Amino acid sequence: MPKIKIDGEELEVELGTTILEAAKEVQVNIPTLCYLEELSVYGGCRLCVVEIEGEKNLKPACATEIAEGMEIKTHSEKVRRVRKNIFELIISSHNIGCELNCLDCSWNISCELKEIAELIEIDQSRLDSINERYDDDNSSHAVVRKMNKCIDCTRCVRKCEEIQGVGIFTKANRGPETLITTFKNKGMGNVECANCGQCIHACPTGALHESYHYNSVWHFLNDDSKFVVVQTAPSVRVALSEGFGEEPGTVATGQMVAALRRLGFDRVFDTNFSADLTIMEEGYELIGRIKEGGKLPMFTSCSPGWIKFIEHFYPEYLPHLSTCKSPQQMLGAVAKSYYAEQHGINVEDMIVVSVMPCTAKKFEASRLEMEDDVDFVLTTRELIRMIKESGLDMMNLAEEKADKMMGASSGAADIFGATGGVMEAALRTAYEVITEEELGKLDFKTLRGLAGIKEAEVEIGELTVKAAVAHGLGNAKELMERIEAGAEYHFVEVMACPGGCVGGGGQPVPTNQETVEKRLNSLYQIDAEKKLRKSHENPEIKAIYEEFLGEPGAKKSHDLLHTHYIPRSI
Amino acid sequence: MGERQLLKKEATTDITEHNFSALEKALTMEGAEVVKEIKEAGLKGRGGAGFPTGLKWELALAEEADDKYLICNADEAETGTFKDRYLMENVPFKVLEGIIIAAYAVGANKGYIYIRGEYSKPIKIFTKVLKDAYDEGLLGASILDSDFNFDLRLIKGAGAYICGEETALLNSIEGKRGKSRTKPPYPIQSGLFGQPTVVNNVETLTSAREIIDLGAEEYGALGTEESKGTKLVCLSGDISKPGVYEVEFGELTIREIIEELGQGVKNDEQLKFIIPGGASTSIIPAEKMDVDYSYEAIAEIGSSLGSGAIIVLDDTHSLLDLMVNVSRFFMDETCGTCFPCKDGNKQLNYLLKKAVQKGGFTKKEIELIRSIGETIILSARCGLGQTSSNFINSIFDNYQAEVLQRGNEDAEN
Amino acid sequence: MEELSFLEKLHNLQDTYGYIPEREISNLAEEADISRAKVFGVISFYSMFYTEPTGKYIVRICDSLSCYVNDSEDLVKAVQDYLEIEDGETSKDKKFSLEVVECLGHCGEGPVMMINNKTFTQLNEKKALNILKECK
Repeated sequence: MPKIKIDGEELEVELGTTILEAAKEVQVNIPTLCYLEELSVYGGCRLCVVEIEGEKNLKPACATEIAEGMEIKTHSEKVRRVRKNIFELIISSHNIGCELNCLDCSWNISCELKEIAELIEIDQSRLDSINERYDDDNSSHAVVRKMNKCIDCTRCVRKCEEIQGVGIFTKANRGPETLITTFKNKGMGNVECANCGQCIHACPTGALHESYHYNSVWHFLNDDSKFVVVQTAPSVRVALSEGFGEEPGTVATGQMVAALRRLGFDRVFDTNFSADLTIMEEGYELIGRIKEGGKLPMFTSCSPGWIKFIEHFYPEYLPHLSTCKSPQQMLGAVAKSYYAEQHGINVEDMIVVSVMPCTAKKFEASRLEMEDDVDFVLTTRELIRMIKESGLDMMNLAEEKADKMMGASSGAADIFGATGGVMEAALRTAYEVITEEELGKLDFKTLRGLAGIKEAEVEIGELTVKAAVAHGLGNAKELMERIEAGAEYHFVEVMACPGGCVGGGGQPVPTNQETVEKRLNSLYQIDAEKKLRKSHENPEIKAIYEEFLGEPGAKKSHDLLHTHYIPRSI
Repeated sequence: MGERQLLKKEATTDITEHNFSALEKALTMEGAEVVKEIKEAGLKGRGGAGFPTGLKWELALAEEADDKYLICNADEAETGTFKDRYLMENVPFKVLEGIIIAAYAVGANKGYIYIRGEYSKPIKIFTKVLKDAYDEGLLGASILDSDFNFDLRLIKGAGAYICGEETALLNSIEGKRGKSRTKPPYPIQSGLFGQPTVVNNVETLTSAREIIDLGAEEYGALGTEESKGTKLVCLSGDISKPGVYEVEFGELTIREIIEELGQGVKNDEQLKFIIPGGASTSIIPAEKMDVDYSYEAIAEIGSSLGSGAIIVLDDTHSLLDLMVNVSRFFMDETCGTCFPCKDGNKQLNYLLKKAVQKGGFTKKEIELIRSIGETIILSARCGLGQTSSNFINSIFDNYQAEVLQRGNEDAEN
Repeated sequence: MEELSFLEKLHNLQDTYGYIPEREISNLAEEADISRAKVFGVISFYSMFYTEPTGKYIVRICDSLSCYVNDSEDLVKAVQDYLEIEDGETSKDKKFSLEVVECLGHCGEGPVMMINNKTFTQLNEKKALNILKECK
């Protein structure tokens, strides 16, 4: 192994190691900006430059492999001077000076630039800000681009392309006109964007954020003539607390419900309830397709990013998508029918708000074919803002329970937020419905974990159900290629975001492998601790079928809980 | 004293008039022998960087691969440079010979000549050259009945200066944005489509042809110890007789080139300074012009021979305006990847324009501009960034007093 | 040799249509199995490729150092006034697009103007306008 020296420390490292990696072995963190571990190396920002003995020019640590005998200085005078200058250039050229817009920046509580400024000890800012004066991109229902904050680091480009396999962004032009944009500058809303919002997590400067709904929600909360109900997705409860300084994965279900009531919502429902409802509808749909020779494999339809992706890239597979609306839309639909009827609430006065870990849910709620179901969608981050604005010390609120009729849920619903969770939940119910026997072991371990694509065969009576699970659209693409090449499955679950909804584009920053794993574990923990772990045993689910819907898949269910899709292609 | 013509002589665009003697000779030698000749002749890259050509070929020859590429870099776009155009328009078959000889020497089976898109005449000429060459058995299988096979294709650039940088050129041929690549790996190890690739400038390859034709000994006898042979010099700017001249290294001083070949400064104005090798080299003030024209002599006085583009400037221009003009070139032409190059050159242009408006710099501003310039040079990935502030810095080095804002030199802002 | 390179395909489309139409970008993207955004990123990198129609005559005037010291800016001004368009614009009748560009490689013969594929050197204002007047 080659011997090298970093800041005087001798070490041996394997060939092929970058200077950045080698430095970590001697406890030196070199500042980076365009570098993200999960993405290809870009080597553009040059903040990580280091001095190599005997070389005139500095070298980027992220893109330079070590060589025998290298003597590296990570913070020599020259390096420090250059780094500071580069940082000053970044600040001046991109309209992100504190005096300009830090206060209203979506990233103001977790600013990577601020962290870097601290790391490299910025002590002056000598340059005028050269404002590009680009217009914001407000074309998307899900994500907004503040182009003047973009520093062209291409993290969003690489995330979208390499992890999500979509590739709506590109670096365009050259010289002073260089910018990150979409195809022909059409805007995110006018291209094949899945709305997953993963680009937001990749962005270090707050140039990307969700399309905000929180001001509208405040408006209706203050309008006494409106009956404002809220629902919360499974993944919100295991991430919301991060906004209040808690460890990732800290569960705050009860505090969240209490906070929502204090914000003024008239009813607090649980999207978990409609997740159980989804399992009933989707489970029966699957059984029907298998028994009656319908289109197989059947694809899950809970993830609106995945829906938009398949509409663009695999429109010929639309008949494979379950016709079930997502839990968000189902809850909206039954709130405005079942709940409103039972409580004599005028549907016209009811506002349904949902809190989602997701940006694509904003687009989903705006889809014409079901636009009345949900009125506003808040991301987990937006809810954190609202709770903070209301001055609530959320973590110290007494825990409360969601409202009856649409508040109870099984553990199966909780794990909807994890990749493989919908599949596991569906199998628990399908097994018992088909075999009419009790399922002994509820945990389908092969469907859990962060492998990109998971496959399993499950014996249900005489039937062997072949299942496949993918998370992240890049993996979804790979799975679709397998299917196109002849792989046979009965049931396929896809979640657009890495890790499933816990890693959604609307989740707190940072959302990375570490935080995603902690949130996932908490969801499985909640499931494990519940007595009620199967959707079809949820008493409120039984009640809604008895009192209102009839049978799963029957006329009323079909009208309210199912939808259709649009071949969009590219 | 005057021109020493090797490259320039025997001009023709008619294949029947051209004598392929050098190629014929090369094909009777082993590849390694050809490489040895080039090494012995001491040829250095004529594109601007001056890397020893023989060494490059030797390394490439040692690489083993199914495909090996030889690329002729004809994306000439450095401000003030038009010598490769001259060669392609006047001695295209010498250029072709040089390409084939190089390919043969390093064992390349495929090649491209990448001509900048704006060069419509050279493109037209070379389109015909390639067709004629295939017809005459100079390209394709069994070249001149030898067992050497080599295919050559013309690729048009599309208007991006940076594609003259060798790794950017590779990306461009591959159909990507023409941004430079991180080195290592060098193109010789992993170049076009990941295969070993030699990229040589038009003049370099044509000179290689002359070396084989004359023999290393005779060619090497020309010039100085460290600068052998001849070099094309492009005279432009404030000069009476601009054009492409071929000089033997060490024979003339820059002053002699300007006064004797270029017949002095236009309109009898006073010479202020020259840029010796395109906009990316440091200026040489009039009083230092008695320097021999060679790589080493010019390096000794702090500049570089570069591409051989001598731009002559008289004393009627505003130095500030010239600085803005040159800085705009680099701002416009950066590929936009490295932040220091992209943002730094933009900021430099902004600061220079600001100085034009107020009639000069404060000392603080000069310090700031130099500091940004240093950052770009030290941290940019490729030659464009690494040389982009040479011109500006050298103006400060030589004429700081002239560009200070009178009466406000010591202002804080 | 191998099939057409990507750059050659772009040139062919540019030459065929005078710009590279959207549907062709999509075709190229599908063929190469990359996103259409990426193809757009490539096209937009190069000054000689366009994704929107340009004027019939693309007038490029060099303003780099050698031409600049030979008064290229006066030439630019005269052409702008005559065509009534600024750098980067296309005339209303779609006849001319004007681009002030960096070095065109005729530094010894400046100032220089290219009209489509033809290069005109050693220009002055009068010569340039006469040439433009002949563009029908």
